[in-house]
Amino acid sequence: MNILYIHFHDLQDEQLYSRLLTLLAEYTPLVQALPPDAALADVSGSLRYFGTDATALAERIRARTGGLYGLRSTVGVAANPLLARMVAADGPPSAVRTLPDDIDTVTAFLAKKPTAALQGVGPATARTLSSYGLDSVGRIAAAPLGTLQRILGVTAGRHLHDVARGLDPTPVIPSAPPRSMSVEHHFTQDELDRNRQRAALLALTDRLGLRLRGESQVACALTLTIRYADRSTTTRTRKLHEPTAHTRSLTALAYDLHDRLALQRARVRTISLRAENLIAAERASRQLLFEPTDEKARRLEAAADRARDRFGTEAVQPAGAAAIHVA
Amino acid sequence: MRGFTHLHAVSGFSLRYGASHPEQLAERTAERGMDAVALTDRDTLGGAVRFAKAAGRAGVRPLFGVDLAVEAPPEVAGRTERRRTPARGGAFVDESAQRVIFLARDGARGWAELCRLVSAAHADTAGDRRPLLLWDALGGEHLTVLLGPTSDVGRALAAGRPDRAAQLLAPWRERYGDAALRIEVVCHGRSGTGSGSLRLAARALGFAADQRITPVLSNAVRYVDPGQGPVADVLDSARRLVPIDPRGERDCGERWLKPATDMARLAEQVAEAAGYRVNTARRLLEVTEETAAACRVDPEDDLGLGRVHFPEPGLVGAHRRTPERVLRSKCAAAMLLHRYDRDRHRWERLEDELRLIERLGYASYFLTVAQVVADTRELGIRVAARGSGAGSLVNHLLGIATADPVEHGLLMERFLSDRRTELPDIDIDVESARRLEVYRAILDRFGPERVATVSMPETYRVRHAVRDVGLALGLDPAEVDKLAKSFPHIRARDARAALQELPELRGIDPESYGPHMWDLVEALDALPRGIAMHPCGVLLSDATLLHRTPVVPTSGEGFPMSQFDKEDVEDLGLLKLDVLGVRMQSAMAHAVAEIERTTGRRIDLDDAAQVPPDDPKTFQLIKSSQTLGCFQTESPGQRDLIARLQPETFHDLVVDISLFRPGPVAANMVDPFIKSRHGRQAPRCPHPDLEPALRETYGVVVFHEQIIRILSVMTGCTPAFGDYTRRALSNADQVGRVRAWFAQEARRRGYEEEVVERTWEIVEAFGAYGFCKAHAVAFAVPSYQSAWLKAHHPAAFYAGLLTHDPGMYPKRLLLADARRRGVPILPLDVNASDAAYRIELVSDVEGGRPVHGIRLALCDVRGMSESEAARIVTGRPYSSLQDFASRARPSRPVAERLAQVGALDTFGRNRRDLLLHLAELHRSQRSSAQGQLTLGEVGAAHSAVAPVGLPDLDDAERLGAELGVLGMDASRHLMGDHRELLEELGVTSAKRLKDLPHGQVVLVAGAKGAVQTPPVRSGKRVIFTTLDDTTGLVDCAFFEDSHEACAHTVFHSWLLLVRGVVQRRGGGSGKALSVTGSAAWDLTELAELRREDGLSAVTERLTQADSPSGRAAGSRSLQLETGYALHPWADLQPPGESVKQSRKLWHQSPGSAG
Repeated sequence: MNILYIHFHDLQDEQLYSRLLTLLAEYTPLVQALPPDAALADVSGSLRYFGTDATALAERIRARTGGLYGLRSTVGVAANPLLARMVAADGPPSAVRTLPDDIDTVTAFLAKKPTAALQGVGPATARTLSSYGLDSVGRIAAAPLGTLQRILGVTAGRHLHDVARGLDPTPVIPSAPPRSMSVEHHFTQDELDRNRQRAALLALTDRLGLRLRGESQVACALTLTIRYADRSTTTRTRKLHEPTAHTRSLTALAYDLHDRLALQRARVRTISLRAENLIAAERASRQLLFEPTDEKARRLEAAADRARDRFGTEAVQPAGAAAIHVA
Repeated sequence: MRGFTHLHAVSGFSLRYGASHPEQLAERTAERGMDAVALTDRDTLGGAVRFAKAAGRAGVRPLFGVDLAVEAPPEVAGRTERRRTPARGGAFVDESAQRVIFLARDGARGWAELCRLVSAAHADTAGDRRPLLLWDALGGEHLTVLLGPTSDVGRALAAGRPDRAAQLLAPWRERYGDAALRIEVVCHGRSGTGSGSLRLAARALGFAADQRITPVLSNAVRYVDPGQGPVADVLDSARRLVPIDPRGERDCGERWLKPATDMARLAEQVAEAAGYRVNTARRLLEVTEETAAACRVDPEDDLGLGRVHFPEPGLVGAHRRTPERVLRSKCAAAMLLHRYDRDRHRWERLEDELRLIERLGYASYFLTVAQVVADTRELGIRVAARGSGAGSLVNHLLGIATADPVEHGLLMERFLSDRRTELPDIDIDVESARRLEVYRAILDRFGPERVATVSMPETYRVRHAVRDVGLALGLDPAEVDKLAKSFPHIRARDARAALQELPELRGIDPESYGPHMWDLVEALDALPRGIAMHPCGVLLSDATLLHRTPVVPTSGEGFPMSQFDKEDVEDLGLLKLDVLGVRMQSAMAHAVAEIERTTGRRIDLDDAAQVPPDDPKTFQLIKSSQTLGCFQTESPGQRDLIARLQPETFHDLVVDISLFRPGPVAANMVDPFIKSRHGRQAPRCPHPDLEPALRETYGVVVFHEQIIRILSVMTGCTPAFGDYTRRALSNADQVGRVRAWFAQEARRRGYEEEVVERTWEIVEAFGAYGFCKAHAVAFAVPSYQSAWLKAHHPAAFYAGLLTHDPGMYPKRLLLADARRRGVPILPLDVNASDAAYRIELVSDVEGGRPVHGIRLALCDVRGMSESEAARIVTGRPYSSLQDFASRARPSRPVAERLAQVGALDTFGRNRRDLLLHLAELHRSQRSSAQGQLTLGEVGAAHSAVAPVGLPDLDDAERLGAELGVLGMDASRHLMGDHRELLEELGVTSAKRLKDLPHGQVVLVAGAKGAVQTPPVRSGKRVIFTTLDDTTGLVDCAFFEDSHEACAHTVFHSWLLLVRGVVQRRGGGSGKALSVTGSAAWDLTELAELRREDGLSAVTERLTQADSPSGRAAGSRSLQLETGYALHPWADLQPPGESVKQSRKLWHQSPGSAG
């Protein structure tokens, strides 16, 4: 029980978050960031140095962050990240909760939990499982492995079989960067007009590209999520031809995703765009073209980026997005 | 100043387009000093008859026209592009076709041509294709064609392409010739060059001059008064199914019925803009008037208002002889057949009736109806006449009515007389499930050119108005849905009043929906929003039918349907026959068929030898008021009345049915009747002469026939005049005159002053409320037959009820009733169940003797299609799950639901294991090639599936699955789950309630059956609801003082706990029992509280005072013209979801049912 799952409440400031991560690093080098407001820490190596147990260390971290930044936090302490997460979520906020590392306690703890509390069990899987009466972790644990595999398939069944017993072999990996980045546009009224939707998309890809290039990252895929007046959503994901942060490519793909939905009477409330599978820009390959337009556009973009850097983001904007004020 | 005629004006019959009623159009035209106006609705002539009548009243000349979408002529048609199907939200409504106005001229020929065009435009509207007139279907005669801004010519002009406009005009000139063609000039003062702009108007005028086509000025009227633009916007939005775009183009507000001066000013503006002088404007107005003058169609002569058209006599058996002769000989033959030939009285009556029919010229009509009834019987469909037609001996002899009018004392005059101006009305009841077969038989007999069904405009009421306005304003769909459902089914114009007065709507803040919401909701009131097939009317006419009415195919069955509704059809003099589908007839037919299938015994319900009219067992059932499921006697009020009245004979049943009408209840005819019946009050009889008329109902006047007799006895008038006078009694203005006449005539015949006085009291008190005895007899027959079936063949009876669902209660209530009466309920089983409910002999019941049980039916499984059920039935028996999956090929959700409710239990005990096997079978079926059977496996497979270790459904989950899938608790009663809580609270069961004294305070609980707010005598709003627990039914009434606290709970919860007081009423035995509720709670919520926080939390909830919401209930009541008060919101379908239709119902699943 040396894994801590720390969740800070009401944290919105990205800079404060990175400071908190630095603070955690004072206790152990093994800190994995779970943006925007949580982190995992493996304190096995630090206990001897601090001369306490993990629970006391967790209390210290809570007290310290509370004192420094006035932040409330909840910490779960358990034998692996899965259980640490679950025990943290198992009660009112602002507390330290520990799950002792013995098999009976863990089994009893898990038995009553709903299926969806398990990591990796989304709403769809939970629905499938509960249609077979497997609506609590205890019932899943009681089901034979073969049955689970018949329901979910071999790999997923095996995984579920393990996690239902509280087994989670994943280690805490320090400093894993965020893997995706998303931007969103709310319309002030239900929007049916295709051109206005496209204008919003253009504003979004512009913003997304700027941020990606600012952080020297490239996206491998784009996800378009459209939320409608009845609160339902449509989501479409597609890979980019090559990993890129180039606004033009992002826009082309976003437009294409949008065109394929062919929305006519749908009452669109929100459009959000997420860049997926981010990797460092230097690892991206790029197809060179004989045609000079792409090259020119990139140079133009670089110039615009520099201008924005100096005069603010508003300084340069795509003309097509000017009609839309991006919140 | 000359007048002006609007040649282009629409009414609300232009669905979701016009914002005014056709009557208003005629009235405003007269008010604004114009002499004529055209009605040119979109795609319909449905408003024409009302319009013509209103125009007649207002003194303006009606012009008839229609606005049709017309296909572009082939030589100029553009390309059409195909668009991708949207992933969400649906496609835009396609309104791209050009619209052209056709005005009828040349009298009847013009009208016939209009009818033909409208019918042709609708000919191909299968699916949801919109009406479109193909170019080839255009005629060329008898019509004037207006090409306005929405025609292709107008659009080309708007696009600045007069050359293209000329090209598009050519095919029209070719068809109709220049003389019948008009260019419509419309100016709404819009900017730009689009429709309604001054520039387009000027261009159109110039174009007309260039092309030498006469222009006409119009205002393209959509609403009669200024300021109705926002309503038009809402209608546009409802038609296009998109919210109003605040940045987009809105209605300009100018499209109202402007007076002549305004139109003259517009003409000047347009002429000036087109570069002409003032005399051109004057000329424009003149030619508009000339066009109007040419479009002459006379409502009486050309539409055929006020004339009668029967099918040709040759079609109903009168080839060589006149229909009168044929009718006479048929009646005479039937007299012999019924062995009435020695009865002089009957011969005389027949002669009277026949002479009357001949005088009125209705012989063909009687032969036609007789023909339809005979054809229906031929098909083996149960058929019975209902209504006043049962009073005619001719109808009885022709086989139309079963009951003998002479025996029951029914009068012909109530049905047909010299003094009745309207067409006689014979309604026939047939089995609802086979109603369409009857329609087809009629179509086959008379041919599609003479037969059409009648339409019924569906008009905006509050719920739809809220929905459409909500959509138009772009409100949150979920919130709009909730808001709409919280209203009872009232008129849209009462929305604001309801919000103020109804306690269950107190939670709604009317201001939170924007400033115009309720204005718009109320503005939509009563506008048509759709046209549906009338549930029973069938038109029968001669071969000219299609020249007089436009006919469109109905959406489902493709029957020809006239665009005119019931009243219009009567005004047009078309013979309408009401063929009512009665579910109870289907249910009884099903029951009889089941009895024959299982026992081989064939029962004829109409045969007095097999179903004696004085069967003691049946009357015992009726007297115990356990008439749930019986025709006309199952409502809580009826059961209450029956318990007090204690019917002993068929005649008592007739009286019972007549008494349970709003009128008699309001006039308090019930109490004196019951008192006299049980001997606690002497029957009233002012004079011995009246004894024969009054004796049968203890001096209380129940039937119209009695009033007619009394009038006839006292004044010596003919029964025909008696009927005429009786009808005058319901009109407050005429009562005085009738009274004077009555007193004078009676005195002259020597009756004493006091007798006259007392008789008049009776006549006046009950005259307006009585019920036609012929109706009551016609109702009482199936009512008695169903009670007989329930008493003697309960299983078959319930099987019929459950299959055809005729009553007001949800099916689960019927099932509970069956269980209480000891009928075994057999679970759903794919190897035993049929598509419909069947009965089976069950041998192992307590008591030893085998009885019939009900086998649940596949048709009630949610999502089961008819073809799926048929496939399952034909494939029986199945040896294994795999066998079932491969041969019956059910869809996966249906197969899973079958497993959940235990229909597949023969293949394995654990239902969840079955689910997993089904999923795998489905997957493997999908991956293997379709249609190939794996031969080896079918025979070799084990009959039971191997267990896989999944947890089986527990009891609560099984019940949940039954409710979710079948909509009823089939294995046990759903209240069983709450027994513990109910015991702790000391809730009284329905059975024990019978032993409690009047006035005791009790708690009762149960699943909600039906909810009603009928009109009651006191003029208050009372909510009646029926609760059902494991032991029986409890009828609860909530009076107005308790509504504040409980109306919302009663309307919107499914399981109820009610605090109330026991009420006992009625005859000596005091059998009528109900509970007057003072508070109600949602039982599900209480059970939840108890499970989570124990009994004390429940106590907390029960003792918690509901905070009264400050606003005092406005107690308004409507004063009926007869002096009785009526609550304004009574007699409406109450808010909340209908108990009958919903499946989710009483059960809120604690987890997943699956």
